[in-house]
Amino acid sequence: MTEVRHDRAPAMTEGRALAIAAAAHLALIAALSLAIHRTPPPFAPGDITPVEFVDIGAVTTSPSPAPPAPAPAPPSPAPDPVEAAPPEPLPVAPAPAPLPQPAQPRDTTAQDAIPQEPPRPVPRPAPAPPAPQPFDPGALEALIDRAAPRAARRPPPGTEAQGRGAAPGAPGPQALATLEAAIRAQIAPCWNPPVGGADVRAMTVVLRIRLNRDGSLAAPPEFVSQTGATEANASYARAFVETARRAVLRCSPLDLPTALYPQWREFELNFDPRVMT
Amino acid sequence: MPTTARVRRLLAALLALAAAPAAAQLRVDITEGLAAPMPVAVPVFPTPTVTPTPAGDTATIGEAVARIITANLQGSGLFRPIDRAALPRPTHAEILKPAFFAYRTLAAQALVSGFVTANADGTLTVGCYLHDVFSEEELARQGFTVPVAGWRRAAHKCSDMVYTRLTGEAGYFDTRIVYVSETGPRTSRIKRLAIMDQDGANHRFLTSGQNIVLTPRFAPSQQTISYMSFEGNRPRVWLYTLGSGRQEAVGTFQSMTFAPSFSPDGSRLLLSVMASGNADIQAVDLASRRITRLTSASAIDTSPSMSPDGRRIVFESDRGGTQQLYVMNADGSGVTRISFGEGRAASPAWSPRGDLIAFVRIRGGQFRIAVIRPDGTGERVLTDGWQDENPSWSPNGRVIVFTRTERGGRSTLRSVDLTGRNERAIPTPLEASDPSWSSLLP
Repeated sequence: MTEVRHDRAPAMTEGRALAIAAAAHLALIAALSLAIHRTPPPFAPGDITPVEFVDIGAVTTSPSPAPPAPAPAPPSPAPDPVEAAPPEPLPVAPAPAPLPQPAQPRDTTAQDAIPQEPPRPVPRPAPAPPAPQPFDPGALEALIDRAAPRAARRPPPGTEAQGRGAAPGAPGPQALATLEAAIRAQIAPCWNPPVGGADVRAMTVVLRIRLNRDGSLAAPPEFVSQTGATEANASYARAFVETARRAVLRCSPLDLPTALYPQWREFELNFDPRVMT
Repeated sequence: MPTTARVRRLLAALLALAAAPAAAQLRVDITEGLAAPMPVAVPVFPTPTVTPTPAGDTATIGEAVARIITANLQGSGLFRPIDRAALPRPTHAEILKPAFFAYRTLAAQALVSGFVTANADGTLTVGCYLHDVFSEEELARQGFTVPVAGWRRAAHKCSDMVYTRLTGEAGYFDTRIVYVSETGPRTSRIKRLAIMDQDGANHRFLTSGQNIVLTPRFAPSQQTISYMSFEGNRPRVWLYTLGSGRQEAVGTFQSMTFAPSFSPDGSRLLLSVMASGNADIQAVDLASRRITRLTSASAIDTSPSMSPDGRRIVFESDRGGTQQLYVMNADGSGVTRISFGEGRAASPAWSPRGDLIAFVRIRGGQFRIAVIRPDGTGERVLTDGWQDENPSWSPNGRVIVFTRTERGGRSTLRSVDLTGRNERAIPTPLEASDPSWSSLLP
């Protein structure tokens, strides 16, 4: 190693001292690079193993993918050997046929990016999906109590509430409140809202629900409206809507008083996580 | 008459309005949900033909890929992978037509499946599919072709795809962490730069340990690391180029330089320059090497960190008497103190999302990781260690990696998410400090 000289030569002018210091630094750097060169290079040149993105099979059946933004990380990565490769047909996933979706990229406005009434020909679960529900009646009871403290009574499956307030044709406010509580108590435990998103506070979504008399879904939950969605948070907005739809799918069939069927045959659910976050 | 017509129309409208509530649809507000991790199923990735590779046969890799995705999703705290032992083992054909019923009975809400195949050119292709178990929709799919040695990256890329699609936020699994590996007694500590995958795999040492190294920071390109080294007994900031292993000192400062950090676009390096008991923040343009002084108070100004939009800088200064956080414009103007309250505040790091600043809250001898909004509101302490320091953000601004030093002096790396509830250890072969999280790999 060369001797390291610092810029504190007392008898020199400052300018010369600086020049010498600079030279010494250069020498030092050179020496260091040599020294480093001698130690086994800790990193092989091809250190980052490249990943090539390839298309596999058909386009997805998912509704209108928002502009695929795989890496919204703020700093754009420098050009790298790895680039999204031209989609090469893979020999493996041999199913380009089953779902020849017109993958028309739709508008990028947030609302459009939201799955609306799904227009896809995918065989949906039959109107009355006999899907086994992870449904715990005990937990539900507890939730009913918590979720509807103001409803004077639990919503027993039956028409008791209706009998209390109103004429048979028009259920009174109490019966309606009870019905609301019953719906809320059954949907809320199935809803996993995405927590912690930057925009979660301001976001809500309304879905229209159509039910059969047995409480099963007569149609897939229909997107009605959404607040808080912007172009910037489109993929979050989409994920948010999906959590709401998933909650309805998971928790149907709903167990609701048959006598009030006209009231719950079609209704709207407003998912609003403000309280949670 | 126009007026009466208008009145009539108005009346009609009013009537319609009045009538609306009677016919109104029932509308139920769901204001509560279950803030619980989402159950997901990640069955083993099958292979159409078991092929031997240097990293094991494709069936073994398929199992490992599922294991890595499971660990990633679990580690995020947002997902609850279902025990793999309970899951079906799908065949290659079933990847496109999953047996949703089986996953519904396991209460899984999403299904992550895929396959591994060996290609003729020696590479591997990992296919990755995400399905909604209840709607039976395919939500996303992506294939990744990697050299055999890089098969773990395919698993991380798949994890990022799933995370992004289900949360609507960018992922952070295909990333690396550079940090200072430490060993030996306190008095003669050997400190080496080391780099590893976000989950601790693929660990490598970058420097030999002859010189003390501190505060490594990734450039946004991830090809360069800046750090402080005592090389030649002269503490100053260096740049390390990954791949070539090239090292070079930054600038021609006459005095000690420290606490480097890159601007989000990678064009500039912020650092502290020491001069007569006073440290100022300066910016080095990496292309022209032009230096701009940003602060000039007679105080220790250090730990600069730029906002993701490049317009502001948060830093630590004792200009008010104790260490506190200050925010200024990128040109050094408009300095405003943002941390108040009991104790000191140090080591700020601006979130890549822009909405928060992570820092170390020092109070009553305890060092803890906290976050605060750039305007100084909303301070929250996230950890409760004895000495938690050096916060660095995941590229999606959702997780913070930091150093925890125990009372005995042992230091390790840990991560905590923004809720503060999901804290995890990051395994390192030796003791560890000063982590810096990379952006997502390309």
